[in-house]
Amino acid sequence: MPAPAHFLRSHVRLPGRTIGLAVLAAAICAAPVLAVAWIALSGETGDYLQHLAGTRLPTYLATSAIVALIAAGGAGLIGTGLGWLIARTEFVGRRTLAWVLILPLAVPAYVAAYAWLDLSHAGGPLQAMTGGLFPTIRGSWGAGLMFALVLYPYVFLLARDTFAGQSADAYHAARTLGAGPLTAFWRTSLPMARPAIAAGLALVVMESLADYGTVSHLGAPTLSIGLIRAWSGAGSLVDAARLSLVLVVIAIFVFGLERAQRRRARSVNAAGRHKPAPRLQLGAGHGLLALLACLTPLALGMVVPLGRLVWLALHTDTAPGLAAASLHSLTLALITAVIAAALGLATAYALRSRTAIATLAARAAGLGYAVPGAVAAVGVIALLSGTQALLDPAWRALTGEVFPILLTATGGALVFAYLSRFAAAAISPAETALARVTPSLDGAARTLGASRGRRVRTVHWPLIAAGVTSAGLLVFVEVLKELPATMILRPFNYDTLAIIAHNFASDERLGEAALPSLLIPLVALLPMIFVARYLSRQAR
Amino acid sequence: MTDAPTVLSIRGAERRYRADHAALAGADLDLHAGRITALLGPSGSGKSTLLRAIAGLERLEAGSICLGDTIWNDAATHVAPEARRVGMVFQDYALFPHMTALANVAFGLTGPGKTARALAQLEAAELGHKAKAYPHELSGGEQQRVALARALAPQPAVVLLDEPFSGLDRRLRGELRERTVDTLRAAGTTALIVTHDAEEAMAVADELALMDGGRIIQTGPPDEVWMSPVSATAAKLLGDVEIIEARVTSGQAETPFGPVDAHGFEDGQPVAVLIRPRAFTLSLDAEGACTITRRRSAGPHLTHRFASDAGEWTAQTPAPSPIREGDRVNVELDPAYVRVVATSA
Repeated sequence: MPAPAHFLRSHVRLPGRTIGLAVLAAAICAAPVLAVAWIALSGETGDYLQHLAGTRLPTYLATSAIVALIAAGGAGLIGTGLGWLIARTEFVGRRTLAWVLILPLAVPAYVAAYAWLDLSHAGGPLQAMTGGLFPTIRGSWGAGLMFALVLYPYVFLLARDTFAGQSADAYHAARTLGAGPLTAFWRTSLPMARPAIAAGLALVVMESLADYGTVSHLGAPTLSIGLIRAWSGAGSLVDAARLSLVLVVIAIFVFGLERAQRRRARSVNAAGRHKPAPRLQLGAGHGLLALLACLTPLALGMVVPLGRLVWLALHTDTAPGLAAASLHSLTLALITAVIAAALGLATAYALRSRTAIATLAARAAGLGYAVPGAVAAVGVIALLSGTQALLDPAWRALTGEVFPILLTATGGALVFAYLSRFAAAAISPAETALARVTPSLDGAARTLGASRGRRVRTVHWPLIAAGVTSAGLLVFVEVLKELPATMILRPFNYDTLAIIAHNFASDERLGEAALPSLLIPLVALLPMIFVARYLSRQAR
Repeated sequence: MTDAPTVLSIRGAERRYRADHAALAGADLDLHAGRITALLGPSGSGKSTLLRAIAGLERLEAGSICLGDTIWNDAATHVAPEARRVGMVFQDYALFPHMTALANVAFGLTGPGKTARALAQLEAAELGHKAKAYPHELSGGEQQRVALARALAPQPAVVLLDEPFSGLDRRLRGELRERTVDTLRAAGTTALIVTHDAEEAMAVADELALMDGGRIIQTGPPDEVWMSPVSATAAKLLGDVEIIEARVTSGQAETPFGPVDAHGFEDGQPVAVLIRPRAFTLSLDAEGACTITRRRSAGPHLTHRFASDAGEWTAQTPAPSPIREGDRVNVELDPAYVRVVATSA
């Protein structure tokens, strides 16, 4: 009788329950995308889309490509450069910068865009200071720049950890073969880090394509703009779903490229012993340059825009409804974060069982991460209105009334959409954290007489708490920043901080937009500091 | 073999990971009170699986494990690891990284005064001054000692050590080995140490158990096992050996170096003649049947590789030796280091 393979792996096993939860996570994440695909492929062709294909669609596609390329190029350059500086050199402030450089993730790109456009528009302070020389930050390149400035931490994090973990041997071998330091870096260290950089870039590209607030404010009509217009302007679910499908196809393509890179990475990392290179000690002059290189993106992505918003907020009366919106934002973010962290942890435990169904569920859940918020929202609407249509006849027969609009008009739909997009983000941190609980730790605790409850309480939880918390906080920050899905799904008159900031900003009332815009990064900053420090502690 | 009472007995233990590969294929083993047994086998022979099965970390598909009269494993029973009285030192030590050395040692203790008892255990390991240190602040040797102290603290009926010295460098390994044996003796514990290093096994063991293919193939005191291996496999586990296949004729097995005593075997029975390298005695002889093809110094002795028409073998000879590469030699066998075993089995 062959024994199940999972006996080998872990000894706190709750296979039934955790696999069930993993499947639930997968269903939440994958169902909206599948619904979008179903609607897109089965619905009737509307005039709107035909009209669109002939007129705007090429523009949407071209703009999306330009924005994504500039975002990827900028974030790649900043993230890789800073990642290498932090991982391989030593200069004053390096240890602090190692985590501070991650913080711009707390700033939504649209918030940076509000501030920068306000600073640089014709007749604005920057043009006044430079005699009209400073370019106005808008359009595709402006949006790409904003994304680069706030999303570079994705590349930075992965590049930093890869550079730090790289064995020095390949680099030294290149040096003994006659390559100078720069050539050796270019030909060994950088190619070895390429899969990590590609993974970071894939995230940057996806976030740029998923964005709505930035591109609408700076006038860069990407696919998301077309999608929101199809839904809120033309009110066509089928057309919105079709545009969504285009975005999903692009996402699958981007992540496919990234995966192709990673497949080769295995052979790179598996080779040889692990002997990290000694850090390059930078002298005073070079150290100062390194410090400047680190502080510039921080200043441009965080300090300057937030400073401008503070100034604006101080010079404008506070708009009404801010307290309610803050409460809504916090509630949604908190609920989603807790559920996502729980689902992520359950999936990670299920993955430890090494069963095919758990692996499949984790993969399917991961799909959600590739889906822009607007697409998830369209999918949730499709699902819920489908369910409504199914239940309606039965309800009518029972009560004689129309089925109450319970499903689509509540915060529940929003949480569903957020989860489908962000729950996947909680899986891999939980997995990493759980990897610290090796089977032999479990075995040691058992042979020392610890019951399951005691093992979970005294061994597992202390080791995974920080990882699981930081997964939850990451989701919390993402939900706080989320705009397009909220716009599509929010109940009538239910505002969040992102919504009122966007509404004021699109009415050109930037003074009133300043405070809600500012509150998002301010609330996000504390959890982000926790996450950043956790991720940086892991690296050493 | 021994008059110490049997503490733990394993009968017919079976465990397979895949349908076609048995990690344990009917292993039998007894552990005797207060004695250290070394379990020696090549990697993949099932020794770690057996250890984990004793600890209850693996389930058996067949066979039994009993502690005295208590059944730990049989067809109907699987006592959970936490309910057995087993101390285990893992290969990677498995120290809890978020707990101090003291908290690690105290983990398995209950009741009042557990901290004091844990501290006493640490002090016995001469690590009292490291009580507040976290595992990553300890050296490899110190980590191993904490792991051993943690396993011994609850005064288990049996202590299991899984390759406890494999992560350490050679010099430290010898020192720590002595220390571990002393500690186990002082505690009067019944212990089972898994290793794939023959020298180490013989150095620590009161009793040696050889494992291959999921079975225990021989047990006994180390010197006895070394001198009288029951099979070619057993002989190879304990060190270099030359194996010559032969058939018995009138109580003797013929080898290129003359006949070897094989009484007790039937005429015509196929046997293997097991020759330890030190059994070969080489003497310079211009008319000798063998030629030295290679000569290597190995510190206190030399290895001489020599060849004749019948084959090529390696001898271990005391240093210094006048015999050089290309010399012709005569070869004789010292019967003390030669054994004949049946091969049909």
